[in-house]
Amino acid sequence: MKNILTIISLVSIILVSCEKPTKTNLTINFSHTVEGANLTTNSMVYTNDAGENYNVQTLKYLISDITLHAENGSSLVLDEVHFIDISEESTFSFTYNDVPNNNYTSISFDMGLDTNKNISNKYVDEGIGTNQEFHQTMFWPEIGMNGMDMGGGYHYMKLEGDFNDSLSGYGTHTGGTMGMDYSFNNIDGISLIVTDDLGNVDVNINMEINNWYRTPNQIEFSTYGMGIMGNMQMQMNLKENGMTDVFSISVNK
Amino acid sequence: MKKFAYLLLGTVLLFSCKKEGCTDPIATNYNPEADINNGSCDYYNITPYTIETPYGFPVMIIPTNNPTTVEGVSLGKKLFNDPILSFDNSQSCSSCHLQIAGFSDTNQFSAGIDGLVGNRNASTIINAGWNSSNFWDGRTTTLEEQAFEPVINPLEMHNTWLNVENTLNNSEQYKQLFKDAFNIEYIDSNHVVMAIAQFERTLISVNSKFDKYLKEEVLLTNEELNGYAIFNSERGDCFHCHGTQMFMDNLFHNNGLDPEPFTDNGLGDITDNSLDNGKFKTPTLRNIEFTSPYMHDGRFSTLEEVVEHYDSGGVYSSTIDPLMKKLGVGLLLTNQEKQDLIAFLKTLSDIDFINNVK
Repeated sequence: MKNILTIISLVSIILVSCEKPTKTNLTINFSHTVEGANLTTNSMVYTNDAGENYNVQTLKYLISDITLHAENGSSLVLDEVHFIDISEESTFSFTYNDVPNNNYTSISFDMGLDTNKNISNKYVDEGIGTNQEFHQTMFWPEIGMNGMDMGGGYHYMKLEGDFNDSLSGYGTHTGGTMGMDYSFNNIDGISLIVTDDLGNVDVNINMEINNWYRTPNQIEFSTYGMGIMGNMQMQMNLKENGMTDVFSISVNK
Repeated sequence: MKKFAYLLLGTVLLFSCKKEGCTDPIATNYNPEADINNGSCDYYNITPYTIETPYGFPVMIIPTNNPTTVEGVSLGKKLFNDPILSFDNSQSCSSCHLQIAGFSDTNQFSAGIDGLVGNRNASTIINAGWNSSNFWDGRTTTLEEQAFEPVINPLEMHNTWLNVENTLNNSEQYKQLFKDAFNIEYIDSNHVVMAIAQFERTLISVNSKFDKYLKEEVLLTNEELNGYAIFNSERGDCFHCHGTQMFMDNLFHNNGLDPEPFTDNGLGDITDNSLDNGKFKTPTLRNIEFTSPYMHDGRFSTLEEVVEHYDSGGVYSSTIDPLMKKLGVGLLLTNQEKQDLIAFLKTLSDIDFINNVK
């Protein structure tokens, strides 16, 4: 009988140790729209404010320091750097497991990488072996024309496609020209009270593509579609447009 | 009663979360389902081969079931250079992947054992351990999978794997070498490609003049530096595809070689997606001086022709890379700029890699 008791208690221990602990999981989703409609790649159906028709073939970008801020002043970094690639569905979301109980009042993130992160080869192994790997495709050179300091590190974004009825291409590439920090912070108020085992919470970060080219700086592809990596004014214009209204955040519980 | 207890214990063990066993892939009793190493690992006498990660390279992804060993690499090298893999014992891998040509072929198309040719230039094998896919159309993921194909391709070695296995198993020397490398008694095709892949992973080229320049051991000439600036800016716009210390992006692009319809769809035939037609895998530019001819079909024999192609802006097609659409005008490089660009490309030559007994 003693044997049995021992075994039963052993069973209980193993059962308990195997049970999933109760926790709140937070999933961050990234979505992309043009004039509010979900982005469809390779379709020549979009028009920017300059009246140019265009499609989107490539959209790759880096979001960093995705952080939840709590009422009590504490904050929780969900991810240091997240790579989104429109051709890889697995990059459209990530889940942070076990969010601590708190009353979260805002969420913030950086578009691109700030100076502390935007360093050549810093993320050489990030996501290696998965579709989250970005070192090779987001690479940003150190030296440009006439020995110009391009800053090194990584592109913040590569948004590419055709315009002008597919006769021309554009490449909206943003990054740290001359080592300048053109990344920008987005913060949005939310109301998210995490108590024991709230279950799954979804936060959606949407990028409205047309707004990159809209306010306050209208950008046309025919003039600035290509070759803007060394153009500090264009990098600043895109940053200003980005800060205005490119990103919006919503929470679903 | 005791019986019941054991039954219960058995059930518990079956359902418990962690499985004990040997977790080391190079052990003879490696258990891929085990989570906890219980110290039971048993080894035969192999020597791990450490692949150092060069500056600016990610760690190499090596299949867990084929760790690199000194014995495996040595066997792979022997197989790579041995015509025993071809049907009539006339060609080895190295017949078309010549070390002096960056493990590529100097011929536009390689002739197989029957004198037949394909329609693509033999790929280089330079830092191929970092390839996320292989072949110009990326149809295989790992080097192991890649090595299965040329042996049985009628345009290449035109053999059968059954025949290869029989031939190798008749060789006492190979039987011993496979036993040393993999602890197997019977040689099968899987272990042949595993050995070849191990060898290929060691073909690492990071000792060019450019590497020495990055380490501040040598200076580049003004021409080379100017070429580097053209390469690394949107003036030449080479770096978007041939970026990082690897000089390739592991992706596929249509670089404007031909109008539609394409005679070779490349990636499109693999993905069955017409948006991928005309796209081919970006090759590394390391040792580009030695890997003539160029492009997937070896259409250009000199770097001058290659630069002229990009300078012209290429030929329009619906899948041409947006970055190649320079409004139909091309790069408009001066003759001096073209020469400088080529001077820079030649700093990627690694004489040791081409000549060393690997």
